[in-house]
Amino acid sequence: MNLLNYVPGDSFLHRLNPVTKLAAAFMYGIAAILCENVFAEALFIVVMILISATAGLFKRAVLLTGNLMILGLIMFVIQLLFVRDGSPLLVIGGVVLFTTGGLKSALLLSLRVIAAMLPLMLLFAITRMNDLCNALVKRLHLPYRYAFIVTTAFRFVPIFATEFHDIQDAQKARGVDFDTRNIFRKLGLIAPLCVPLLVSSLKKVDVSAMSAEMRGFELRGYKSGYKEYPFAARDMVTVLVLVVLIVATVVLKTIPK
Amino acid sequence: MISVKNLGFVYKDSKVAALDDINIEIADGDFVGITGASGAGKTTFTFALNGIIPQKIKGDFYGAVTIDGVDTAEHPAEEFARKVGEVFQDIDSQMVASVVEDEILFGLENFGVPHEEVGVRIDRVLRELGIEDLRDREIEGLSGGQKQKVAIASMLALEPEVIVLDEPTGELDPESSREIFKILTALNKEKGITVIIVEQKIMLLCEYVKHMMVLDKGKIAFYGTPRDMAASIDTFKDLGINVPRVTELSADLIREKIYDGEVTLTVDDAEKMVRRILK
Ligand SMILES: Nc1ncnc2c1ncn2[C@@H]1O[C@H](COP(=O)(O)OP(=O)(O)OP(=O)(O)O)[C@@H](O)[C@H]1O
Ligand SMILES: [Mg+2]
Repeated sequence: MNLLNYVPGDSFLHRLNPVTKLAAAFMYGIAAILCENVFAEALFIVVMILISATAGLFKRAVLLTGNLMILGLIMFVIQLLFVRDGSPLLVIGGVVLFTTGGLKSALLLSLRVIAAMLPLMLLFAITRMNDLCNALVKRLHLPYRYAFIVTTAFRFVPIFATEFHDIQDAQKARGVDFDTRNIFRKLGLIAPLCVPLLVSSLKKVDVSAMSAEMRGFELRGYKSGYKEYPFAARDMVTVLVLVVLIVATVVLKTIPK
Repeated sequence: MISVKNLGFVYKDSKVAALDDINIEIADGDFVGITGASGAGKTTFTFALNGIIPQKIKGDFYGAVTIDGVDTAEHPAEEFARKVGEVFQDIDSQMVASVVEDEILFGLENFGVPHEEVGVRIDRVLRELGIEDLRDREIEGLSGGQKQKVAIASMLALEPEVIVLDEPTGELDPESSREIFKILTALNKEKGITVIIVEQKIMLLCEYVKHMMVLDKGKIAFYGTPRDMAASIDTFKDLGINVPRVTELSADLIREKIYDGEVTLTVDDAEKMVRRILK
């Protein structure tokens, strides 16, 4: 399953204005970044998963969290080895391997990464890229050109993936064995495919640009969009809740322990 | 009317001419099929029909192409694109949206079609192509035939006078290929839209088009009605193109004075011919 594709739905989250969704995802992330409490950080993740569940995305949220944990783990290890505050926690042969301070900040940072990234990842499940692009142009007057480039880049990912598989299949048919477990050997086999992939990708991008131009891309302004993306009461409420969340996070931080 | 005079084109960084001294006039309401080997210049020719060549693709351009008397080199290609819409060979890359409705909307929005008319046009083209049920579908999950219909619908929404299609049936099964031709025939007959189609399946061309053009190494090797093929069977053999067997058979029978009717293009016609001979 593709963890970033759109999941059609009619939930509260789905019906929010795309601009609101984007802003909300960012604000939630900002709150998570401002937060300095390990338990609160974990709570951010759990709450996000529960919110996703209201849009029928419980499984997706859990899977995404799982995937983000890999990133979290990397951050965890780096932080653990480099932060030296607090008292020694593990000493082997007179060398302090890590400290209490290290453990605490490693835990905080890895949870924070997951909590901040999760809403942005979930954004893709409830927002069509096209709608996001059109709404940003219509509401915030973002130049259409940039919005289009971003949405096109996303659309091309699966096309390139298919292309890559086709090229790989062609190589397999010639007897190249990609099923090796040796990662270096595998890299050695995949590297030569990059050139044909790049060439065919550039061709595809060319066709895409030509097709857009011939259909009047250059003539477009922010008023051109047919679909209106009005803000509704639920958008106001959502933004308000998130503003409160950020303020609360900041206030709680300043309260002395 | 599209008029092509002494058209030649050499791609930048290429030594051989992709098109070489092409002369042809395509009348309003015509249905032209273009065929020829890979690399013969079919795609390049379609690019020359609405100004993509020389405006968007660089190279040496010779001769002139005019649409209703206006030279395609002298106005922005977008202006011609509304009159002469093209469905490109690479069906996936030309899509600009991920949902069918948005794909059709794109051109309508860009060209500033009044918003009260947009909905009407979308409804109409979806109906004309029989894809009302695909309106909210993701394009990525559609079949090859459905994608072609979406591409044609997006073009049609701009109400062009001419539609150009580059091997739309290249990856389709025989039944879907025939369906595309039927749709195009209906558009040609009922709305008077000129259709220009690049196609390898010679049987389909024989059955549906009014004129056929064969390109070989950038030159026109044959131009005429499908029936005219009978007189040029050797030319086709030299080019490695298989003239439908029923056509060849009828040409032989006419030459041997066994049959005095017209050249046959379809199996049905051939059946009628055989029945008449046996009577
Ligand atoms: N962008 C390009 N740059 C340089 N040469 C090109 C380019 N595109 C096509 N050509 C060359 O021009 C000639 C005609 O190509 P064209 O794509 O028009 O052929 P085609 O008849 O459409 O072939 P196919 O059936 O494979 O689609 C070929 O020799 C081709 O290699
Ligand atoms: Mg071609």
